[in-house]
Amino acid sequence: MVVGCPKCKIKLKVADEKLTPEGIRFKCPKCSTVLLVKKPAVQIKPLENKIIVAHENPAIVERVNKLLTQKGYSVIVSYDGIDTMIKAVKELPFLAILDVALPKIYGFEVCKRLKERAETKEIKVILISSIYDKTRYRREPTSFHGADDYIEEHEIEHLLMDKIDVVRGVKPKEEIAEKPKEPVVEKPQPKVEMPAPPKVEAVLKAAAPQAVPPLKPEIKVEADEAVEKARRLARTIIADIYLYSSSKMEEAIKNNNFYTVFASEVKEGTKLYDGRISPEVRSKGNFFREAIDNFIENKKKVLKI
Amino acid sequence: MSFINYSSREINCKIVYYGPGLCGKTTNLQFIYKKTNPEQKGKLISLATETERTLFFDFLPLALGDIRGFKVRFHLYTVPGQVFYAASRKLILKGVDGVIFVADSQIERMEANMESLEDLKINLAEQGYAIEKLPYAVQYNKRDLSNVAPLEEMNKLLNANGVQWFEAVAPTGTGVFETLKSVAKQVLLELKKHY
Repeated sequence: MVVGCPKCKIKLKVADEKLTPEGIRFKCPKCSTVLLVKKPAVQIKPLENKIIVAHENPAIVERVNKLLTQKGYSVIVSYDGIDTMIKAVKELPFLAILDVALPKIYGFEVCKRLKERAETKEIKVILISSIYDKTRYRREPTSFHGADDYIEEHEIEHLLMDKIDVVRGVKPKEEIAEKPKEPVVEKPQPKVEMPAPPKVEAVLKAAAPQAVPPLKPEIKVEADEAVEKARRLARTIIADIYLYSSSKMEEAIKNNNFYTVFASEVKEGTKLYDGRISPEVRSKGNFFREAIDNFIENKKKVLKI
Repeated sequence: MSFINYSSREINCKIVYYGPGLCGKTTNLQFIYKKTNPEQKGKLISLATETERTLFFDFLPLALGDIRGFKVRFHLYTVPGQVFYAASRKLILKGVDGVIFVADSQIERMEANMESLEDLKINLAEQGYAIEKLPYAVQYNKRDLSNVAPLEEMNKLLNANGVQWFEAVAPTGTGVFETLKSVAKQVLLELKKHY
């Protein structure tokens, strides 16, 4: 396996048999940076007959469950956002059917998180919303927190199976009005794909390889309400800064100098964020910085920069 | 807490319009001011910038009839909605008799609504109030826009206790007086209970 040193950029050859999932450490012969090379994790594709259904209302969960079981799907049920995240990461269903306003973590937030995580981004998401006859509220699913599709509660019996076929790719979207077809249920075996490129991390030069603590497992469910609240506050702060200075901010994003132009707002925002979020939650990650960077990234897409 | 002036035989009550930035709190007050008889109202004081940002508060005194020979005067306040102005909001909530939570119906402002509601609950609790026990109503403003969230979802996210709620388009006045009347009525009922 060939890896690049992040510091001096030279290419180094590492024998495959020496690699472990926890990673091995060695010094770059040129610049002496200690490198950590991990064996690439085997990518597991979500199970193709497993679906998670999450809704606050047990009656709706039961309705959907019955429908899917009849068609041969294996169904996992959940009634809140935290439980949904845990089950989705553990069970890796191919599809998540989520209520938009799930308790604890809202469905649209669960959707966004599933799409962000490497191991769950392949999971398709259909959001359930309770909209009735209000076409003006409808938005394209792509702009709806990254969901693949959405369905209204009253359409479940008529349209859900068709929508599942569309997200599975067995039916084109245009055929959605046609009579529902039986789903093709495939073997519930995880598929092994080609390994992803190796991960390389530079660590402190001084650190002796044997003194380095063992790595924590990579799959970690951030099912923590306090973290979610911190993230929401962070997103609200940056959205508020934009709300009152939208053109100035767009200009700064275009000129790639947001942090310089908005230094005082960011400082004020950090003060507010730090004042409201406990040190314990803050130690889990810089969610304010993360929210700003995501906001800038999204704005760049909208502004086509 | 309402203030009773026995010598001038006046009862003064305080209603606060709360909600996220640019949700239409000031627009509510402006419409009320525009549509009220001159003898009923005082001067609308607005501390805002040209970008419609309320710096500290808006204030509108409004006379709404008599109770047992006492003139009832409502003092309507708005708070600055931007997240940064938490200290001002706390101050304005002091001695409040009723709250109107103005939510921005646009889908992209849903998180700001939730954050503002959370902020309201915290600030009320700090002063010993519980939102469930206070005269309170929710207004879903900007219903004329194309990107609004469905009412059922808004109720689920912002009105867990199922209090009275109103759809509104504040610049045209839709739902503005209905919301005010609902909270004013609740405040008066509370007054009658205690005096």
